[in-house]
Amino acid sequence: MEVTRPALVFDRVGYAYEEAPREAVSDISLTIAEGEWVGVTGPTNAGKSTLCLLAMGLAPHFFGGRLKGGVTVLGKDSRQVSVIERSAEVGLLFQNPFTQVSGARERVDDEVAFGPECHGVARPEVEARVAEAMERVGIAHLAARHPMDLSGGQLQRLALAGLLAMRPAVLLLDEPTSQLDPAGAAAIFDVLAGLHQRGTTILMVEHRLERLCELCPRVVAMAAGRVIADGPPDEVFNREAVQERVGIPVFTRLARDGALPRPWPVRVGDAATAFAKSIA
Amino acid sequence: MPEIRLEDVRFAYPGGVDVYPEPGLTLALGDGVTALVGENGAGKTTLTKLLIGLLRPRAGSVTVQGEDVAKATVAAMARIVGYSFQNPDDQLFERTVRAEVSFGPRVLRKPVAEVERGVAWALEACGLKGREEVHPHDLGLSERKWVAIASALAGEPQVVVLDEPTLGQDYPSRERLRSLVAQLADMGRTVLVVTHDMDFVGEACSSTVVLSEGAVRYAGPTAAAFADRDLVEEAGIEPPHVTSLARRLGLGDAVSERAFLAALGR
Repeated sequence: MEVTRPALVFDRVGYAYEEAPREAVSDISLTIAEGEWVGVTGPTNAGKSTLCLLAMGLAPHFFGGRLKGGVTVLGKDSRQVSVIERSAEVGLLFQNPFTQVSGARERVDDEVAFGPECHGVARPEVEARVAEAMERVGIAHLAARHPMDLSGGQLQRLALAGLLAMRPAVLLLDEPTSQLDPAGAAAIFDVLAGLHQRGTTILMVEHRLERLCELCPRVVAMAAGRVIADGPPDEVFNREAVQERVGIPVFTRLARDGALPRPWPVRVGDAATAFAKSIA
Repeated sequence: MPEIRLEDVRFAYPGGVDVYPEPGLTLALGDGVTALVGENGAGKTTLTKLLIGLLRPRAGSVTVQGEDVAKATVAAMARIVGYSFQNPDDQLFERTVRAEVSFGPRVLRKPVAEVERGVAWALEACGLKGREEVHPHDLGLSERKWVAIASALAGEPQVVVLDEPTLGQDYPSRERLRSLVAQLADMGRTVLVVTHDMDFVGEACSSTVVLSEGAVRYAGPTAAAFADRDLVEEAGIEPPHVTSLARRLGLGDAVSERAFLAALGR
């Protein structure tokens, strides 16, 4: 049997930003195996983005602050590796793509090349990766444009292409399609599904619960800096604490309001089956 | 009379192609809540910036509440149109939430009592009560979004334009937004919501405008937009989740949860 080692381990992690009176996350213990696709959700200030920053090492290396417990990514403790070193294997897509672009490049293709170039990847290899990454996220036609002239959605794809060009083993995605139209979002999720199939570990923050339930075999629900549930989406969203503090997927809410028996479905297919049964 | 009217509007960014090809964009909007949807790059945000005179059309005319935008100053338009940007960081610069939210009406030299009334209402409606003295940059993206929305509302404008207001918002926040736009509609205001969030469109917006490649592909009742499958396919949008479920059950094209439950007889 193939043994999968953990890609991400949070061991009793607490973290407070510089000068913040309280911890942004507290007592987080999570183990994510290589190849898992884990969705993270929760209300505002739940600590979801902080979780991503911790996994990247930006907290505490860039943000300072106080870190308790241990964050280990691909076998390396955050305290022992720099963000640059980690970025060879781990990519973080920021919540706001406007903050992701380097600002140092004047063409989209050069921006995508920025990461691999900084890591000393050979030129022909960089070019191949850049072409492939742009093609995958659908921005090949924008290669010569200036990054700052792009729309929010185009910029978000650019940011993702920059990460893909690094061929990371672990992807940390903070709302990866927040700026995209539905068709564009579906295309990006197809890309992620492909990466997942090839073994990339994905930790993805997503507010759209329906999407989360459709895509992620495992969901971590957070509130007020703590993990309040962790498991398959059906299980997580049937818990009252999650429904109250995090929210309810549309299909689950309809099942509740339509007086279906528990457990309530979280995906459209299951909801259709459950409603069909109740109508018959 | 429509509150917003665009006639044969042409526009291009410097060095860019025409956003609205021949013969230009023509659109009339009345009061109530209208969703502006369509794929990335369809010209949605550009349209909203033309409404407040932040961008000037190369040809054609833009009229808001009878005011010809080409002849009005940005300040004059700011009295009529409240605008919240897609990226709140493009618009926030004051040191406290209160200063930020009151900035617009103060600059417009509204009477103090009016400023206070508008700011108090906006802070309350946007869930920012108790956060007045916080520095906007100490807030998360979702709350910064709310500060931007409150800033757009504080001047009590007749027309409110919200660019991607549900971005980064959790469910309670989306519910707050839904009741906020309903309240604005009840007050007789015109609300234009640029969004990719089709669930929100189905729940909160009675009318929908679909833009595709710089042309109005549809303008009318929201339910009919999603019922048109060709339109949905071509414009890169998708029906609300509840609509997908309703169809699988043969319950028609319900676009809101209330309509779904009604069709179900519950």
